[in-house]
Amino acid sequence: MFSFDPYSPAVDADPFPSYKRLRDEHPCFWSPEAQMWILSRYADIVSAGQDWQTYSSASGNLMTELPGRAGATLGSSDPPKHDRLRGLIQHAFMKRNLLALEEPIRAVAQEVFGQLQGATTFDFKDVSSQFTVKVLMAALGLPMGDEALVPEQEVRENAVLMVQSDARTRAKGPEHIAAYNWMQDYAGRVIAMRRAEPRNDLISHFALAEIDGDRLDDREVLLTTTTLIMAGVESLGGFMMMFAYNLASFDEARRAVVANPALLPDAIEESLRFNTSAQRFRRRLMKDVTLHGQTMKEGDFVCLAYGSGNRDERQYPNPDVYNITRKPRGHLGFGGGVHACLGTAIARLAVKIAFEEFHKVVPDYRRVADQLPWMPSSTFRSPLVLELTTA
Amino acid sequence: MTQITYIEASGQTTTIDLAEGWSLMQGATTHGVDGIIGECGGSCACATCHCYVDEARLGDLPPPSEGELAMLENVASERRPNSRLACQLKASTALEGLVVHLPETQE
Repeated sequence: MFSFDPYSPAVDADPFPSYKRLRDEHPCFWSPEAQMWILSRYADIVSAGQDWQTYSSASGNLMTELPGRAGATLGSSDPPKHDRLRGLIQHAFMKRNLLALEEPIRAVAQEVFGQLQGATTFDFKDVSSQFTVKVLMAALGLPMGDEALVPEQEVRENAVLMVQSDARTRAKGPEHIAAYNWMQDYAGRVIAMRRAEPRNDLISHFALAEIDGDRLDDREVLLTTTTLIMAGVESLGGFMMMFAYNLASFDEARRAVVANPALLPDAIEESLRFNTSAQRFRRRLMKDVTLHGQTMKEGDFVCLAYGSGNRDERQYPNPDVYNITRKPRGHLGFGGGVHACLGTAIARLAVKIAFEEFHKVVPDYRRVADQLPWMPSSTFRSPLVLELTTA
Repeated sequence: MTQITYIEASGQTTTIDLAEGWSLMQGATTHGVDGIIGECGGSCACATCHCYVDEARLGDLPPPSEGELAMLENVASERRPNSRLACQLKASTALEGLVVHLPETQE
C-alpha cells in the first residue's frame, strides 16, 4: 500500500518518486504519519495558496511547528494581521532598495570564496554558510565585527538545527527546541540593543514600529525577528547547497553558466523549480473542502508540497529534466500567494553574486560522493555536506 | 472559469480561461504573457504585475487595499487612475470578459 511519510529519511533523500505517485494516483492524500492531507498537483497548490480564507496559516506554516510560534510571525498569520506585519518589513526587501547591498554582498563573496584558491577538495557548506550568515547580518542589521554578540557560526548552526525534526518521534527533538530557544534569546538581545540605540537598519525599524499608534507586541517582534534570521540563514544556505548540487551534477549546465555568467539567473530559477529547498509547508482548513473525491474537514491540516507542484507534468513538460533554458515562470520555489517568500529579491541577488565569484575561483568542479547525507526535515530539503572536487 | 484578455504594449493579445480564485498575475505567468513579471510571487511586494484595467469595468473590481495602493506608488510605468496590480485581482464571475492592458515596462 502506498504511504507518504514526510518524516522518513527516504523522503529527505529523494521525495520525487513519491510525489509522482501522489500526483498521479492520490492527488488529495491523507498521510497518517504526518496527520495531514497532502496536495501535490501544481494547480491545487496554487488554488490553495490563493485562498487564505480557507487554507489558513494561523495555526502554523512549518510542517513541524515550533512551540509558541504560530500566529506571531508573517508566515504563520493570516490577513489582515499578516498584511500589517508585512507592511513594516517588505519595503526593505524590495529589489530597488537592495541596490545598496550589492557591493557589500560582492565583497563578502570575494572574501569567502577567495579562500578556495588552490583548494582541490572542499565541503561547499563551509563557504556557503559563511557567506549566508554574513549577507543576512548585513541585510537585517545584525551586530557584526566589534559589536557582534555571538560567533557567526553559532547563528548558522542554530538556524539549521531549529528547522529540523526527529524522524522517529515525528516531532521536534530537545536539540531542535534548544536551537529555537537559542535563536529567540539571540533575537531578544539584538532587539534590546537596537531599541536602546536605534540605527538605520531593519531590526531597529521593526523593533520601534508602531501601527496606528500601537507598538507591535513584544512576542510579534521577537518571533518575527527570530523567523527572519532562521528563514534567511537556513533558506538561503539551503538553496545555495541545492544550486551547487545541481551545477556539480549537471556538467552541461555548469559549463554554460561558468562560460556565460549572464545565464546564472535562468539557472537559479530552474533550480528553484527543480528542487527548491523549501519543499513543503502546511495550512489548516477553515471549512470542509472536497477535492478529487475526498472530503477534508474543517480543522484538518493540509500540506502544500511545493516541490511536487514544481515537478507536475501537467504544468511543466519533462519536469524531471534540469533545463536552464526553461524559464519556469510561475514556479513554486518561493511558495505563492500572500505568503510568497519575502526574501525573493535578496535571495536571487545574493545567489547570483555568490556563484559569479565562486566560479571565478573554482571554474570546474564535480561531486565527490554519490550518496549524500540529507537534512532530517519535514519542511526543507538540502544536503548537510556537499563535498566538491576540482580534480 | 473566467475569461480574461491581456493586451501587451506591443499589441500582442492573449485570452485565457482562468480558474476561480487564481490571480490575473498567475494567469499571465502560467500562460506565457511576458508583459507581467510577478517577481515576488503574488504577495503584493514588487509592483511588477502592473496593469491597466478597462475603465468601464473598474466598478466590477473590489477596490484596492491599502497595501496595493502603497505598492502602486512603485510601478515603473506611468500610474493611471485605472492602474491595478494583477496579483491582487482574482478571477470570479464579476470579472468575466475583463480586458487588461499591460504597460511598456514593469522594471
